Amino acid sequence: MDSLSAASADSFRLLFSGDPALWIIIFTSFSVSVKAILFAAPLAFVVAFMMAHLRYPGRRAMIAGFSALQSIPAVVVGLTVYLVFSRSGPLGDLKLLFTQTSMAIGQFLLSLPLLIALSHAAFQAADRRVWETSVTLGATPGRAFITLVHEIRFGLIAALIAGFGRIIAEVGCSMMVGGNILGYTRNIPTAIALETSKGEFAQAIALGMVLLTLALILNGLLAFFSGRGMMTS
Amino acid sequence: MREILRYNGLRKSIHGQLLLDIDTLAIHEHSCVALSGRNGAGKSTLLRIIAGLETPDSATVSFEGQVLSWRRLCRKMHTQIIYLHQHPYLFDSSVTDNIAYGLRRRGLPLRNISSKVSEALDWAGISHLQLRNAHDLSGGERQRVAFARARILSPRILLLDEPTSNMDSESRGQSYRMIKRLKEEGVSIIVASHEFHTIAHLCDEHLSLQSGQLQSLPLEAEGGARKIIPYG
Repeated sequence: MDSLSAASADSFRLLFSGDPALWIIIFTSFSVSVKAILFAAPLAFVVAFMMAHLRYPGRRAMIAGFSALQSIPAVVVGLTVYLVFSRSGPLGDLKLLFTQTSMAIGQFLLSLPLLIALSHAAFQAADRRVWETSVTLGATPGRAFITLVHEIRFGLIAALIAGFGRIIAEVGCSMMVGGNILGYTRNIPTAIALETSKGEFAQAIALGMVLLTLALILNGLLAFFSGRGMMTS
Repeated sequence: MREILRYNGLRKSIHGQLLLDIDTLAIHEHSCVALSGRNGAGKSTLLRIIAGLETPDSATVSFEGQVLSWRRLCRKMHTQIIYLHQHPYLFDSSVTDNIAYGLRRRGLPLRNISSKVSEALDWAGISHLQLRNAHDLSGGERQRVAFARARILSPRILLLDEPTSNMDSESRGQSYRMIKRLKEEGVSIIVASHEFHTIAHLCDEHLSLQSGQLQSLPLEAEGGARKIIPYG
């Protein structure tokens, strides 16, 4: 019990003294996950819009497929990315394994089905008159799409937050394709796993607090934006 | 009156059932046409086809005497024809932003947009609402914003889908006055309503959709069941 209290006290000291090793880990986590979300979101929005507004063969299969892929385990995505970028893999020559880029690619793949499924729900619930009004007032299809995104922004922001929450805390994929290299690919979840296995609880608790705070903030934001869905008069 | 738009052989089926089977439909300049028909007769579908929001199964369309492909026609429609839904959608922004939406899409300079929006707000009598979020307005106020948003683009044809349904008498009166003013300004208008008598006083032609076909009825024959003249 004493050692746990001491570790907790040390964790606060690490957090608030600006320990560079700790803050590099936090920065790596955010940098990789933000990049993954920034690349995944536009693609997810366009695919979700197409699934909600266009009629084409295979549309329902696509919806079911992305819905099913939401539950894909992070280690399976990690294994796939690992095999693709490993030396003998099809993209091995790119030498991306154990880099932040491969971690971002893994997280991109992990967040994409969730982002598509959630933003599809938002597009599906959108009022068809938004698109028609934009078009009849002279908007190009691209501009009408931007208007539609603006009108359902709260649902889409909620999708983004949920997607970010999914990848910032995942361990399996980052561990496999990032390699947990100190100062380069070590992020919050992989660092927590490592430090705990070493019995170094101070840094693990400090990082755990960051992750917990982030999770609470994200869920708070999610509730805030979802709660914006008031009935319209 | 000069003809703007003509549809020949307009057919549209929905769920395998022929909804519209119109031999000829012509829209002339400075005309105000009442389009009546029972609920589900296809009035909204016809207006949406004219607006380019829905594609007919078949039709030959000419714009000012020139036969155009559907794609080219749609481009023209979206700059010259405006369709107002039964309950117009206003974007989740201020009344000013809503009214300026179409002008911004046309790339007008900001100063011109600002002066035109002020003029449109005055025209519709909604200057006091300019900073309000459009979603916070009453039904009648929304309708006035929608009219101002359409008028500011100087459309040649305005398509109104049941513009006064579920309105109180005061809002209804305001809508009639605005339709009348638009007509006086030279906008060709088609007003769809399942209650012809409510819009008869605004119009100079009465078309009725019955079993997918357009019938021209005399304006004075309210309800129009007696004297049916095949249209076109």
